[in-house]
Amino acid sequence: MTCWSIKRRSTDYVDGRLRGNDRSRVASHLAECDSCTLLVEELASVRSTLRELPQPTAPSPLRTELLILASRERKLFRSSRLHRLWTRWKFRFHELMRPLTIPATGGLLSSLILFGALALTVSTSTNAVGYEVPVVYADKADANLVPVELRSAVVLNLTLDGKGRITDYAVQDGSASFVGDPSRLQSNNIALPEFRTVLAMTQPVSGDISISFTPLLFRP
Amino acid sequence: MARLLLGNPGNLSILAGAQAGVSEEDARILRGLRAGIEDAYQELIDRYEQPIFGIVFRLLENPGDSSDVVQEVFLKVFRGVNSFREQSSLRTWIYRIALNEAHNHRRWFSRHCRCEISLEDERGGRPNPLELASDPGRSPFEQALDSENRTLIERALAKINPVFRTAVVLRDIENLSYEEIAEILQISLGTVKSRILRGREALRRELTQRPDQTLAEALA
Repeated sequence: MTCWSIKRRSTDYVDGRLRGNDRSRVASHLAECDSCTLLVEELASVRSTLRELPQPTAPSPLRTELLILASRERKLFRSSRLHRLWTRWKFRFHELMRPLTIPATGGLLSSLILFGALALTVSTSTNAVGYEVPVVYADKADANLVPVELRSAVVLNLTLDGKGRITDYAVQDGSASFVGDPSRLQSNNIALPEFRTVLAMTQPVSGDISISFTPLLFRP
Repeated sequence: MARLLLGNPGNLSILAGAQAGVSEEDARILRGLRAGIEDAYQELIDRYEQPIFGIVFRLLENPGDSSDVVQEVFLKVFRGVNSFREQSSLRTWIYRIALNEAHNHRRWFSRHCRCEISLEDERGGRPNPLELASDPGRSPFEQALDSENRTLIERALAKINPVFRTAVVLRDIENLSYEEIAEILQISLGTVKSRILRGREALRRELTQRPDQTLAEALA
């Protein structure tokens, strides 16, 4: 018998489950092999030490809890068949859902947080302007709208009439400024956007407004 | 009538028969539980409270959690008694429920990393479940040594792989046979032996921290 075979049989040997020939063969090997003998002796020692360990004592309130539980179950047992059926299915459903409780709660919380974060971005006090702000780079050769190159922050000053229409505009680029000509734009068939509702609840406003444009530089 | 059934096993053996896997005593308790008899519930608790707590405590190492799990186990037993097919012994069935509940509990808490300390850890003078009454036959020194060795072994047991720990606890502490362990864990006999061997070896390694130290020296 090899040491590997002895190791495989060591549990049975230590627990006294080996009989007859098998036991004799193991004993013969142990008589000649110190390492296997030490292994078997130590496994036997572990086993006997474990057997001497005290049994943990259940705390005394546990017994009371179990008796209360038993009383409740007995009461349930005596209740109507329908009630028992309901309780049984409720218990089974609870057991089924128990492993899903944490992921379901986590999913619900995540949804609430995401919705809350997104909801904050929806403005309800200001109505959105119903047009797209044209952001077009125009060089000096095609300076119909903005005759400046957008190298730095540009401020667009607009004058609005009572209906939100642009009557005049000026462009400021650092120290330089350009006063626009809306009539020229009209003759070139360039339509300026109308500010239907700006800042106030539903009424278009008149007056001057400033819009600042900052170019984004993308480095390759 | 119910009491007569419970207290008269002679008739019951004819009625219930020696059903496969279930002893006469088990059959009597099961009949009592199914009939809602208070004594049957009490007897079940008397018989299984301590062993179940012991197994669960060895796996969870926490008296508070162990108490909770034991209550879950008994609840499942009370509610599942009608669907128990009696193909195994009552003990096997209850132990199987206990191990599953303990493993589920441990998996749940290892995932969610409960770091709070149970109030029961602050025992306020209440005894540790593992403390025994002192043995008047031994000297204080011997008792201290025994206590120290028990602590070493308990700590080593807590450190080994839970799969192997379960097998070792069922075999060496609960004194179940290999066949019963195979039935409880629903594994083959070979796997039972392998797990017991590996559990004992792991304990041996834990206890002999120095490579040149034997188990006897470690426990001396």
